[in-house]
Amino acid sequence: MFQAILEFAFIILIISSIGAALAAILVFCEKYVVNYGPCKIIVNDEKELNVQGGESLLTVLREEKIFIPSACGGRGTCGVCKVKVIDGAGPVLATETPFLTKKEQADNIRLSCQVKVRNNIAIEIPDELFNVKEFHAVCAEIKDLTYDMKRFRFDLKDPPVIKFTAGQYLQLLCPQYQDNSEEVYRAYSIASDPSADNIVDLIIRRVPNGICTTWCFDFLKEGDPVRMNGPYGDFHLSDTDAPMVFVAGGSGMAPFVSILHHMQNNHINRQIKYFFGGNAVKDLCMADEMEAFEDALEGFDFTPVVASPEDDESWDGETGLVTEAVQRQFDSLDGYEGYLCGSPGMIDAAIKVFVALGMPEDKIYFDKFA
Amino acid sequence: MKQSPQEKKLEEILRSTKLVAGGFMGTDTRHPAEVVDDDCSRLEKLGLTAARVAARMRELTELAIPRLGGWIEAEPGKLRVKSEDFKGSLVCPWPHQGAYGKRITIAERMDIGKQLVWTDLNIHMIETHGFFEGKGAFFRVEPAEVAQILFEGLKTAQM
Ligand SMILES: Cc1cc2nc3c(=O)[nH]c(=O)nc-3n(C[C@H](O)[C@H](O)[C@H](O)COP(=O)(O)OP(=O)(O)OC[C@H]3O[C@@H](n4cnc5c(N)ncnc54)[C@H](O)[C@@H]3O)c2cc1C
Ligand code: FES
Ligand SMILES: [Zn+2]
Repeated sequence: MFQAILEFAFIILIISSIGAALAAILVFCEKYVVNYGPCKIIVNDEKELNVQGGESLLTVLREEKIFIPSACGGRGTCGVCKVKVIDGAGPVLATETPFLTKKEQADNIRLSCQVKVRNNIAIEIPDELFNVKEFHAVCAEIKDLTYDMKRFRFDLKDPPVIKFTAGQYLQLLCPQYQDNSEEVYRAYSIASDPSADNIVDLIIRRVPNGICTTWCFDFLKEGDPVRMNGPYGDFHLSDTDAPMVFVAGGSGMAPFVSILHHMQNNHINRQIKYFFGGNAVKDLCMADEMEAFEDALEGFDFTPVVASPEDDESWDGETGLVTEAVQRQFDSLDGYEGYLCGSPGMIDAAIKVFVALGMPEDKIYFDKFA
Repeated sequence: MKQSPQEKKLEEILRSTKLVAGGFMGTDTRHPAEVVDDDCSRLEKLGLTAARVAARMRELTELAIPRLGGWIEAEPGKLRVKSEDFKGSLVCPWPHQGAYGKRITIAERMDIGKQLVWTDLNIHMIETHGFFEGKGAFFRVEPAEVAQILFEGLKTAQM
């Protein structure tokens, strides 16, 4: 009996070993042996790229210097790398469905990091993505803004200049460090003057146990080389003359610094009321820079708002939630445009207040970053 | 413990730093299923269930959200809570649909100054997978601390 059981176990062991070996061979062949040969990627019905098959669409496009935004380095965990694939992508994979709505699936939207190029593929991407470049830069300066926020200045090396619209963001590559064995990309709004095109400033807030922010705060040093790509995003100033309300908190300050520089450079003197909220006085930052903008821009008014000053903090400015300060200062926002940048919770709260004060939803601009 | 290929794959993801810094297992060398079973029996001894813990965490998170990162007292003078969300979202290490915000909630038992910290992903993993994370993981939720910090007031109220 025991002999029979042993024989049975042995047979099972052999069968499962063969199965495992076959699977390993398959993975190996897929990666190194199978040659999908030359394939064509047709972009927006006009551009034809001749590529070698076998890699993901995201990687192949990156090799062709077309950068699709991606926040996880192609590992299928961020859902950011969406592209419309008109033809040639095969069925939607289980790894994609968590990130695609039914409508997106019906519209042939796919995660480009999960689509493998095995044959000719036709895709549609927004024209702006042709301007996206990869930058090699050096961290030139790290400046504390608050206890949990820093401004990182990067000198661009290759290419040495960037052209972007104030309000756009870049993707910073966080390399492997310490126990974190994976490279990841994270998005950060550009906080610098668009006319100072040889540098970029990013304002980064530390996120507890965050992969990229831990690297930025604890590992990245002045003089270190970094890689980033961009610019991305369509958060920017409208070209109307309407008065505006800006609401931001934390690192949401970043795109507004760039927008204010742009306004100063171009002598745009629209009326702006900027509410910047923090929980305590220690969360506020860039008071001097905002004062300089108040001097330079006739219609600009900066209002810092502190939710509840701590016992040892003296504060005689606006208190309460940033949205409450907006409500105190305006009876109506009819005719205004609203610009928001901050946490998803703050954005939701501000939209409610704007709408209640009569601002149409299509006049409220934000990158919710969710 | 014999693991199925799916369980092996899951353990690999939980230990990797692919989704979160340091992974979800910390320094815990046990299999994830053992971590789940062990925490489940600890909870039982404390008179709690994973579903009840998750519901309490969600209730406190939702109470704190409108304060946009500021404290609010959930039990006046006894328990305060604050919740802050950061841009971006995370997926669950188990293979299913859905993304969870990078929101962090802190509850503080005010008399002893003891805090419990969790994220939206913790609530989901506790509720759906009974997983409180491995020992040493940054966001490990300790069942005994849950009972002390989140349920102490409720216990007194029920008595
Ligand atoms: C368009 C855009 C623009 C942005 N601009 C800016 C900007 O200008 N400045 C800025 O600071 N940020 C900005 N962000 C956010 C930024 O991209 C990152 O998401 C942010 O910095 C956090 O990245 P991270 O890698 O440090 O955190 P991640 O590692 O991605 O996430 C950390 C979070 O994951 C959760 N978590 C971690 N470990 C665990 C665990 N063990 N168990 C359960 N949960 C866990 C927690 O909620 C934790 O806070 C922007 C985002 C977008 C999309
Ligand atoms: S790059 Fe993150 S899902 Fe594709
Ligand atoms: Zn799950």
